[in-house]
Amino acid sequence: MRETFEISDRYIDAGDANGLLYEPLDGGATFRATRRYEIEFDGDKKTLQAFIEKTLLDPISQKLHEGEDAALSDYTFVLEYGMKPGALDLEKEAILTYYKGIEEPSFELKELKIRQRIYLFGGKSDDSDRFVRDICNAAIHKWNVIQAG
Amino acid sequence: MEERPRAVLLKFPGTNCDSETARALETVGFVTEMIPISALKQESIDGVSLVVLSGGFSYGDYVMAGRLAKLVTEQKIGETLRDFRDNGGYILGICNGFQILTQLGLLPEGSLVENTSGRYQCQWVSLENRAPESPFLSQLPESFEFPIAHAEGRLVTSEASIAEDYRANGAAALTYTEDVNGSFEQIAGLQDESGRVFGLMPHPERFLRRRDHYDPDWSGGEEGEEWGSGYYLFRSLYESVTSDEE
Repeated sequence: MRETFEISDRYIDAGDANGLLYEPLDGGATFRATRRYEIEFDGDKKTLQAFIEKTLLDPISQKLHEGEDAALSDYTFVLEYGMKPGALDLEKEAILTYYKGIEEPSFELKELKIRQRIYLFGGKSDDSDRFVRDICNAAIHKWNVIQAG
Repeated sequence: MEERPRAVLLKFPGTNCDSETARALETVGFVTEMIPISALKQESIDGVSLVVLSGGFSYGDYVMAGRLAKLVTEQKIGETLRDFRDNGGYILGICNGFQILTQLGLLPEGSLVENTSGRYQCQWVSLENRAPESPFLSQLPESFEFPIAHAEGRLVTSEASIAEDYRANGAAALTYTEDVNGSFEQIAGLQDESGRVFGLMPHPERFLRRRDHYDPDWSGGEEGEEWGSGYYLFRSLYESVTSDEE
Protein backbone atom coordinates (compact mmCIF):
# COMPACT_ATOMS: atom_id res chain seq x y z
CA MET A 1 0.00 0.00 0.00
CA ARG A 2 1.07 3.55 -0.53
CA GLU A 3 0.25 6.68 1.48
CA THR A 4 1.29 10.29 0.90
CA PHE A 5 1.58 12.90 3.63
CA GLU A 6 2.50 16.56 3.29
CA ILE A 7 3.38 18.81 6.20
CA SER A 8 2.97 22.58 6.13
CA ASP A 9 3.59 25.28 8.73
CA ARG A 10 0.73 26.99 10.52
CA TYR A 11 2.58 30.05 11.65
CA ILE A 12 5.13 30.84 8.95
CA ASP A 13 3.83 33.31 6.39
CA ALA A 14 4.81 33.22 2.74
CA GLY A 15 8.33 34.61 2.37
CA ASP A 16 9.96 36.71 -0.32
CA ALA A 17 10.86 34.34 -3.16
CA ASN A 18 13.88 36.46 -4.04
CA GLY A 19 15.48 35.11 -0.89
CA LEU A 20 15.85 31.77 -2.70
CA LEU A 21 17.57 33.20 -5.76
CA TYR A 22 20.95 34.68 -6.58
CA GLU A 23 19.34 37.43 -8.68
CA PRO A 24 15.96 38.96 -7.82
CA LEU A 25 12.87 38.42 -9.94
CA ASP A 26 10.79 41.22 -11.36
CA GLY A 27 7.68 41.62 -9.23
CA GLY A 28 6.76 40.42 -5.78
CA ALA A 29 6.60 36.63 -5.87
CA THR A 30 6.38 34.79 -2.55
CA PHE A 31 6.90 31.18 -1.53
CA ARG A 32 5.98 28.63 1.09
CA ALA A 33 7.83 25.41 1.83
CA THR A 34 6.35 22.04 2.80
CA ARG A 35 7.70 18.52 3.17
CA ARG A 36 6.10 15.57 1.42
CA TYR A 37 6.50 11.93 2.44
CA GLU A 38 5.59 9.02 0.16
CA ILE A 39 5.44 5.75 2.05
CA GLU A 40 5.16 2.19 0.78
CA PHE A 41 4.04 -0.08 3.56
CA ASP A 42 2.28 -3.29 4.53
CA GLY A 43 0.14 -3.69 7.60
CA ASP A 44 -1.97 -1.51 9.83
CA LYS A 45 -2.67 1.94 8.39
CA LYS A 46 -3.76 3.42 11.73
CA THR A 47 -0.45 2.51 13.32
CA LEU A 48 1.38 3.99 10.35
CA GLN A 49 -0.61 7.21 10.77
CA ALA A 50 0.29 7.34 14.47
CA PHE A 51 3.94 6.75 13.60
CA ILE A 52 3.85 9.58 11.05
CA GLU A 53 2.26 11.96 13.53
CA LYS A 54 4.85 11.10 16.17
CA THR A 55 7.95 11.23 14.01
CA LEU A 56 7.18 13.77 11.29
CA LEU A 57 4.70 16.25 12.67
CA ASP A 58 4.98 19.03 15.20
CA PRO A 59 1.26 19.19 16.10
CA ILE A 60 1.57 22.67 17.56
CA SER A 61 3.10 24.52 14.65
CA GLN A 62 2.36 22.27 11.66
CA LYS A 63 -0.55 20.77 9.73
CA LEU A 64 -0.69 17.28 8.24
CA HIS A 65 -2.25 16.85 4.82
CA GLU A 66 -2.99 13.30 3.71
CA GLY A 67 -3.33 12.31 0.07
CA GLU A 68 -1.79 12.83 -3.35
CA ASP A 69 -3.18 16.30 -3.98
CA ALA A 70 -1.19 19.42 -3.10
CA ALA A 71 -1.45 20.74 0.45
CA LEU A 72 -1.53 24.36 -0.74
CA SER A 73 -3.50 26.01 -3.53
CA ASP A 74 -3.37 29.07 -5.82
CA TYR A 75 0.28 28.59 -6.64
CA THR A 76 2.03 29.42 -9.92
CA PHE A 77 4.21 26.33 -9.77
CA VAL A 78 5.69 23.88 -7.31
CA LEU A 79 9.32 22.86 -7.26
CA GLU A 80 9.65 19.47 -5.63
CA TYR A 81 13.10 18.09 -4.88
CA GLY A 82 14.76 15.50 -2.72
CA MET A 83 17.94 13.54 -2.26
CA LYS A 84 19.03 11.06 -4.93
CA PRO A 85 19.04 7.42 -3.88
CA GLY A 86 22.36 6.80 -2.18
CA ALA A 87 22.86 10.42 -1.07
CA LEU A 88 22.75 10.84 2.71
CA ASP A 89 19.41 12.16 3.93
CA LEU A 90 19.67 12.83 7.66
CA GLU A 91 15.93 12.96 8.18
CA LYS A 92 15.35 9.68 6.37
CA GLU A 93 18.11 8.02 8.37
CA ALA A 94 16.60 9.28 11.65
CA ILE A 95 13.10 8.13 10.71
CA LEU A 96 14.25 4.68 9.60
CA THR A 97 16.42 4.25 12.69
CA TYR A 98 13.49 5.24 14.88
CA TYR A 99 11.26 2.77 13.03
CA LYS A 100 13.77 -0.04 13.44
CA GLY A 101 13.81 0.65 17.19
CA ILE A 102 10.07 0.05 17.57
CA GLU A 103 9.14 -3.34 18.98
CA GLU A 104 6.38 -4.98 16.95
CA PRO A 105 5.44 -1.92 14.88
CA SER A 106 2.26 -3.49 13.32
CA PHE A 107 3.31 -2.30 9.89
CA GLU A 108 6.27 -2.80 7.62
CA LEU A 109 7.87 0.34 6.23
CA LYS A 110 9.02 -0.77 2.79
CA GLU A 111 10.01 2.50 1.18
CA LEU A 112 10.16 6.14 2.20
CA LYS A 113 10.58 9.03 -0.21
CA ILE A 114 11.06 12.50 1.23
CA ARG A 115 10.61 15.60 -0.89
CA GLN A 116 10.88 19.29 -0.11
CA ARG A 117 8.24 21.37 -1.89
CA ILE A 118 8.54 25.04 -2.74
CA TYR A 119 5.22 26.61 -3.71
CA LEU A 120 5.63 29.83 -5.67
CA PHE A 121 2.87 32.42 -5.52
CA GLY A 122 2.86 35.22 -8.08
CA GLY A 123 5.65 35.43 -10.63
CA LYS A 124 5.58 33.54 -13.94
CA SER A 125 5.59 29.86 -14.70
CA ASP A 126 8.77 30.40 -16.77
CA ASP A 127 10.58 31.44 -13.60
CA SER A 128 10.75 27.81 -12.50
CA ASP A 129 14.03 27.29 -14.40
CA ARG A 130 15.74 29.87 -12.25
CA PHE A 131 14.50 28.28 -9.06
CA VAL A 132 15.73 24.88 -10.21
CA ARG A 133 19.12 26.35 -11.12
CA ASP A 134 19.58 28.17 -7.79
CA ILE A 135 18.05 25.65 -5.37
CA CYS A 136 18.77 22.20 -6.77
CA ASN A 137 22.16 20.54 -6.93
CA ALA A 138 22.38 17.99 -9.71
CA ALA A 139 25.03 16.05 -7.81
CA ILE A 140 22.69 15.12 -4.96
CA HIS A 141 19.12 16.11 -5.87
CA LYS A 142 16.32 14.81 -8.05
CA TRP A 143 13.54 17.28 -8.83
CA ASN A 144 10.44 18.01 -10.84
CA VAL A 145 8.30 21.07 -11.43
CA ILE A 146 4.52 21.00 -11.24
CA GLN A 147 2.87 23.86 -13.08
CA ALA A 148 -0.52 25.11 -11.92
CA GLY A 149 -3.66 23.69 -13.52
CA MET B 1 35.67 17.18 51.71
CA GLU B 2 32.53 18.72 50.24
CA GLU B 3 31.22 16.82 47.23
CA ARG B 4 30.36 19.06 44.32
CA PRO B 5 27.11 18.42 42.42
CA ARG B 6 27.45 16.78 39.02
CA ALA B 7 26.07 18.13 35.78
CA VAL B 8 25.92 16.24 32.51
CA LEU B 9 25.86 18.13 29.20
CA LEU B 10 24.38 16.16 26.31
CA LYS B 11 26.16 16.75 23.04
CA PHE B 12 24.48 16.20 19.69
CA PRO B 13 26.17 16.57 16.32
CA GLY B 14 26.02 20.35 15.88
CA THR B 15 25.87 21.32 19.56
CA ASN B 16 28.41 24.12 19.89
CA CYS B 17 27.83 25.98 23.16
CA ASP B 18 28.67 23.14 25.52
CA SER B 19 32.19 24.27 26.41
CA GLU B 20 31.05 27.76 27.45
CA THR B 21 28.13 26.27 29.36
CA ALA B 22 30.39 23.78 31.13
CA ARG B 23 32.74 26.62 32.05
CA ALA B 24 29.83 28.60 33.52
CA LEU B 25 28.62 25.59 35.52
CA GLU B 26 32.10 24.88 36.85
CA THR B 27 32.53 28.53 37.79
CA VAL B 28 29.56 28.33 40.14
CA GLY B 29 30.59 24.96 41.63
CA PHE B 30 29.38 22.06 39.48
CA VAL B 31 31.50 19.19 38.24
CA THR B 32 30.66 18.71 34.57
CA GLU B 33 30.82 15.89 32.07
CA MET B 34 29.97 16.10 28.37
CA ILE B 35 28.36 13.01 26.91
CA PRO B 36 27.91 12.59 23.15
CA ILE B 37 24.42 11.37 22.37
CA SER B 38 25.93 8.32 20.67
CA ALA B 39 27.47 7.25 24.00
CA LEU B 40 24.44 8.09 26.15
CA LYS B 41 22.92 5.30 28.20
CA GLN B 42 20.15 5.34 30.77
CA GLU B 43 22.70 4.92 33.55
CA SER B 44 24.77 7.86 32.28
CA ILE B 45 22.79 10.21 34.50
CA ASP B 46 22.80 8.11 37.67
CA GLY B 47 23.94 10.31 40.56
CA VAL B 48 23.70 13.46 38.46
CA SER B 49 21.89 16.57 39.72
CA LEU B 50 21.55 18.47 36.47
CA VAL B 51 21.21 17.60 32.79
CA VAL B 52 21.93 20.41 30.34
CA LEU B 53 21.07 20.61 26.68
CA SER B 54 23.30 23.37 25.36
CA GLY B 55 22.90 25.69 22.41
CA GLY B 56 23.92 24.99 18.84
CA PHE B 57 22.42 23.47 15.74
CA SER B 58 21.79 19.82 16.47
CA TYR B 59 21.74 17.85 13.22
CA GLY B 60 22.08 21.15 11.39
CA ASP B 61 18.54 22.15 12.42
CA TYR B 62 17.55 19.88 9.54
CA VAL B 63 13.77 19.81 8.97
CA MET B 64 13.05 21.75 12.17
CA ALA B 65 15.26 22.76 15.09
CA GLY B 66 15.34 19.98 17.67
CA ARG B 67 13.29 17.48 15.65
CA LEU B 68 16.00 14.93 14.89
CA ALA B 69 17.57 15.35 18.33
CA LYS B 70 14.19 14.44 19.81
CA LEU B 71 13.95 11.23 17.78
CA VAL B 72 17.48 10.18 18.65
CA THR B 73 17.10 11.02 22.36
CA GLU B 74 13.81 9.15 22.67
CA GLN B 75 15.34 6.15 21.01
CA LYS B 76 18.48 6.21 23.14
CA ILE B 77 17.00 6.79 26.57
CA GLY B 78 13.21 6.76 26.25
CA GLU B 79 11.54 8.22 29.33
CA THR B 80 14.78 8.51 31.29
CA LEU B 81 14.81 12.32 31.36
CA ARG B 82 11.21 12.41 32.59
CA ASP B 83 12.05 9.93 35.33
CA PHE B 84 15.15 11.94 36.17
CA ARG B 85 13.01 15.03 36.70
CA ASP B 86 10.41 13.11 38.70
CA ASN B 87 13.18 11.87 40.97
CA GLY B 88 14.35 15.38 41.77
CA GLY B 89 16.77 16.11 38.92
CA TYR B 90 17.01 19.46 37.17
CA ILE B 91 17.00 19.93 33.39
CA LEU B 92 18.14 23.09 31.62
CA GLY B 93 17.80 23.73 27.89
CA ILE B 94 19.50 26.73 26.33
CA CYS B 95 18.53 27.87 22.81
CA ASN B 96 18.70 24.66 20.76
CA GLY B 97 18.41 22.79 24.05
CA PHE B 98 15.14 24.65 24.69
CA GLN B 99 13.93 23.66 21.23
CA ILE B 100 14.77 20.02 21.96
CA LEU B 101 13.02 20.10 25.36
CA THR B 102 9.82 21.42 23.74
CA GLN B 103 10.00 18.66 21.12
CA LEU B 104 10.52 16.05 23.85
CA GLY B 105 7.42 17.29 25.67
CA LEU B 106 9.33 18.05 28.86
CA LEU B 107 7.97 21.60 28.96
CA PRO B 108 4.43 22.94 28.66
CA GLU B 109 3.02 22.82 25.13
CA GLY B 110 4.99 25.08 22.83
CA SER B 111 7.02 25.03 19.71
CA LEU B 112 9.85 27.26 18.50
CA VAL B 113 9.46 28.30 14.88
CA GLU B 114 11.12 30.71 12.50
CA ASN B 115 11.38 34.31 13.74
CA THR B 116 8.81 36.64 12.19
CA SER B 117 11.74 38.56 10.69
CA GLY B 118 12.56 35.42 8.66
CA ARG B 119 16.18 35.96 9.64
CA TYR B 120 18.76 34.66 12.08
CA GLN B 121 18.88 37.25 14.90
CA CYS B 122 22.00 37.85 16.95
CA GLN B 123 21.56 40.69 19.44
CA TRP B 124 21.25 41.61 23.11
CA VAL B 125 17.76 41.70 24.59
CA SER B 126 16.12 42.95 27.76
CA LEU B 127 14.31 40.33 29.78
CA GLU B 128 11.81 40.26 32.61
CA ASN B 129 12.16 37.70 35.38
CA ARG B 130 8.58 36.61 36.00
CA ALA B 131 9.41 33.69 38.31
CA PRO B 132 11.80 34.93 40.99
CA GLU B 133 11.06 31.78 42.99
CA SER B 134 12.30 29.56 40.15
CA PRO B 135 15.36 27.43 41.00
CA PHE B 136 16.89 28.82 37.81
CA LEU B 137 16.09 32.51 38.33
CA SER B 138 16.04 33.11 42.07
CA GLN B 139 19.22 35.20 42.13
CA LEU B 140 18.41 37.28 39.08
CA PRO B 141 16.85 40.73 39.34
CA GLU B 142 13.45 41.68 37.96
CA SER B 143 14.98 42.78 34.67
CA PHE B 144 18.34 42.08 33.04
CA GLU B 145 19.99 41.50 29.67
CA PHE B 146 21.17 38.39 27.83
CA PRO B 147 22.27 37.87 24.23
CA ILE B 148 20.19 35.87 21.77
CA ALA B 149 21.36 34.10 18.61
CA HIS B 150 18.69 32.14 16.79
CA ALA B 151 16.65 31.76 13.61
CA GLU B 152 13.90 29.65 15.17
CA GLY B 153 13.12 31.30 18.49
CA ARG B 154 9.52 32.34 18.09
CA LEU B 155 7.53 30.48 20.72
CA VAL B 156 4.05 29.53 19.50
CA THR B 157 1.27 27.48 21.05
CA SER B 158 -1.61 25.73 19.31
CA GLU B 159 -3.97 28.49 20.51
CA ALA B 160 -2.90 32.00 21.50
CA SER B 161 -4.90 31.70 24.73
CA ILE B 162 -2.53 28.96 25.95
CA ALA B 163 0.40 31.38 25.86
CA GLU B 164 -1.72 33.95 27.70
CA ASP B 165 -2.34 31.35 30.39
CA TYR B 166 1.43 30.80 30.65
CA ARG B 167 1.82 34.42 31.68
CA ALA B 168 -0.92 34.04 34.27
CA ASN B 169 0.17 30.71 35.76
CA GLY B 170 3.91 31.33 35.86
CA ALA B 171 4.99 28.89 33.16
CA ALA B 172 6.30 31.89 31.21
CA ALA B 173 9.17 32.37 33.62
CA LEU B 174 11.10 34.68 31.33
CA THR B 175 9.73 37.20 28.84
CA TYR B 176 11.26 39.74 26.49
CA THR B 177 10.43 43.32 27.40
CA GLU B 178 9.62 44.03 23.74
CA ASP B 179 8.68 42.04 20.66
CA VAL B 180 11.96 40.52 19.53
CA ASN B 181 11.03 37.58 17.32
CA GLY B 182 7.23 37.30 17.30
CA SER B 183 7.02 34.95 20.32
CA PHE B 184 3.51 34.68 21.67
CA GLU B 185 3.24 36.84 24.79
CA GLN B 186 6.91 37.72 24.22
CA ILE B 187 7.90 34.48 25.94
CA ALA B 188 11.66 33.88 26.11
CA GLY B 189 11.72 30.99 28.59
CA LEU B 190 9.33 28.34 29.92
CA GLN B 191 9.36 26.23 33.05
CA ASP B 192 7.35 23.09 33.75
CA GLU B 193 4.95 22.63 36.64
CA SER B 194 7.62 21.14 38.88
CA GLY B 195 9.94 24.09 38.28
CA ARG B 196 12.75 21.60 37.69
CA VAL B 197 12.76 21.87 33.90
CA PHE B 198 13.53 25.22 32.34
CA GLY B 199 14.27 26.23 28.78
CA LEU B 200 15.21 29.61 27.40
CA MET B 201 16.24 31.01 24.04
CA PRO B 202 18.78 33.60 25.33
CA HIS B 203 22.32 32.51 26.18
CA PRO B 204 23.22 33.04 29.87
CA GLU B 205 26.61 31.38 29.35
CA ARG B 206 27.63 34.24 27.07
CA PHE B 207 27.22 36.79 29.84
CA LEU B 208 29.07 35.08 32.63
CA ARG B 209 31.34 38.01 33.45
CA ARG B 210 30.69 41.70 33.42
CA ARG B 211 33.31 42.13 30.69
CA ASP B 212 31.22 39.91 28.37
CA HIS B 213 28.67 42.70 27.96
CA TYR B 214 28.80 44.32 24.52
CA ASP B 215 28.94 47.78 26.08
CA PRO B 216 32.26 48.39 27.90
CA ASP B 217 30.54 51.16 29.85
CA TRP B 218 27.63 48.96 30.90
CA SER B 219 26.25 50.39 34.12
CA GLY B 220 24.16 47.41 35.26
CA GLY B 221 25.01 45.38 38.33
CA GLU B 222 26.88 46.49 41.40
CA GLU B 223 29.87 48.81 41.19
CA GLY B 224 33.09 46.83 40.83
CA GLU B 225 31.24 43.54 40.46
CA GLU B 226 32.94 40.83 38.43
CA TRP B 227 29.92 38.86 37.29
CA GLY B 228 27.39 39.29 34.53
CA SER B 229 23.73 38.28 34.74
CA GLY B 230 24.37 34.81 33.33
CA TYR B 231 26.45 33.95 36.38
CA TYR B 232 23.40 34.47 38.57
CA LEU B 233 21.29 32.02 36.57
CA PHE B 234 23.87 29.28 37.07
CA ARG B 235 24.43 30.35 40.67
CA SER B 236 20.67 30.11 41.34
CA LEU B 237 20.74 26.60 40.04
CA TYR B 238 23.74 25.64 42.12
CA GLU B 239 22.08 26.99 45.28
CA SER B 240 18.89 25.07 44.50
CA VAL B 241 20.72 21.81 43.85
CA THR B 242 22.90 22.05 46.95
CA SER B 243 20.02 23.07 49.21
CA ASP B 244 18.08 20.00 47.96
CA GLU B 245 21.04 17.79 48.84
CA GLU B 246 21.45 19.15 52.37
